[in-house]
Amino acid sequence: MGIGGGTGMESSVGFEPKIVAFLCNWCTYTGADLAGVSRIQYPSNVRPIRVMCSGSVDPMYILKALLDGADGVLIGGCHGGDCHYVNGNYKARRRIAVLREVLDELGIGSERVWFRFISASEGALFADTVKEMVDSLKSLGPNPTKAMWIT
Amino acid sequence: MNNLVMPVGEEGKAKALSGFLARLLELGVVDSMVLPVMTVPGIMTYLMARDPELIREKAEPFAAVMPVNAGSPVARTVSKKPRGRIGALLKPCEVRALVELVKLKQASPDNLLIIGIDCTGTVDRNEYKKAYPDTSHLDLREACKVCLNPSPPDTAFPGINIGHIGLDDEDALLVSLSTGLDPGVAAVVEELGFESDGSLADRRRSAIAALREERDCAHREFFLNSRAEQNGGGIESIARLLAACTGCRNCRVACPVCYCRECIFDGDVFDYETRQLLRRADRKGGIKIPGDTLLYHLTRMNHMSLSCVACGMCQDACPENINLFSLFARVADRTQSLLEYVPGRSQEDALPFTTFREDELEPR
Repeated sequence: MGIGGGTGMESSVGFEPKIVAFLCNWCTYTGADLAGVSRIQYPSNVRPIRVMCSGSVDPMYILKALLDGADGVLIGGCHGGDCHYVNGNYKARRRIAVLREVLDELGIGSERVWFRFISASEGALFADTVKEMVDSLKSLGPNPTKAMWIT
Repeated sequence: MNNLVMPVGEEGKAKALSGFLARLLELGVVDSMVLPVMTVPGIMTYLMARDPELIREKAEPFAAVMPVNAGSPVARTVSKKPRGRIGALLKPCEVRALVELVKLKQASPDNLLIIGIDCTGTVDRNEYKKAYPDTSHLDLREACKVCLNPSPPDTAFPGINIGHIGLDDEDALLVSLSTGLDPGVAAVVEELGFESDGSLADRRRSAIAALREERDCAHREFFLNSRAEQNGGGIESIARLLAACTGCRNCRVACPVCYCRECIFDGDVFDYETRQLLRRADRKGGIKIPGDTLLYHLTRMNHMSLSCVACGMCQDACPENINLFSLFARVADRTQSLLEYVPGRSQEDALPFTTFREDELEPR
């Protein structure tokens, strides 16, 4: 066994990815709520965390989730021009673009990090995004950090 | 830009330059002068001098060793209730770090007179100490071997630049006064009687271009080697490279642009309760302690790589000799080119995380 300890329980058979979702209070979180009240069916793999702005999500929290074994991290912000705090979503876009460069340069890969603009009225888009992400993560397989203890 | 020629007498360039710096202090251009000095033979440090005689006696402006990136301690001299004017003789990477700290509002540029000096590279400080005084044969530090900025940026500060690259055979140093320099300061320097000359400046410029070209190849090769050394992708390969990290945080302290006054890794977020640790350990079979070391490095890259001036102090500071420089330089190169940002070039370039364009970075 290498640097991974782990219990060996994770296998890709019947693998259900865990997604940590940082959702903006003003748009995507409300959009997710709308998906719920509209009775739109979508996979239950997502664990939403309500934040006041996508621009307030420090990359540290995204990395922490990834290194602790989350299979994917979704960050949901407002569409361009709609940010409650004027431009937090545009700044989040820069931060996450930088995070992706860091992950790609180090060979970790950035495909587990998704950043989407989803408004409060786009419940269906939220549900579709989660479905799409779950499918994509299923084909990627479990995050190797699940069984890695030197993070 | 006004190029003046400082004549060098028999005592040599170091004494001539020390004399010039002491003179600036004597003439009241600055209230104090920060510059590298030799404390005991072989050990360099920076001195914030008030006594011009101390400068004449102790200054070592050309010593090829860099105990700290002085950008950050110099910033700290004018970060709290700044008054008067502090002069500082800084290497190019130190000037660039200082520019970043000014943009981060951690230093008041109005209270600084930056005197940048050409630097062809520095050597490992421990080897320097052992070999002193015969240090000329020592290998350059890894960061210096691939440094593409041997001269201070012309546009960084309205200040003074001291040039010597390509002028080894000359009994002279080039003193360039930048265009925005305080007229009072410029007048004092001009009154020292140095002659104006463009030819030395041209020679220096072409020597710098040649050096950059030579290093550009080394720079590219270094990145390729570093990627190859990582030996394949995946998070495991990077975890292996950083496996020896003891979480001492020396790299963070040595980093001139790791700017937070209080680091998130020293805060409550990482002050875990036992049950949190047990739960994580349970999930993974166990956890390394002190933990979160991989997270720490990856987070630092996200926070400071855009401002990374590639000085390599992180690597010098590492007690485990982890090759931090190659990792951080590679990442910085990527993130800086993504947002077309050159750290330390100018105070006018906005920090990338403080600004945005409406149409960029799509698809997300």
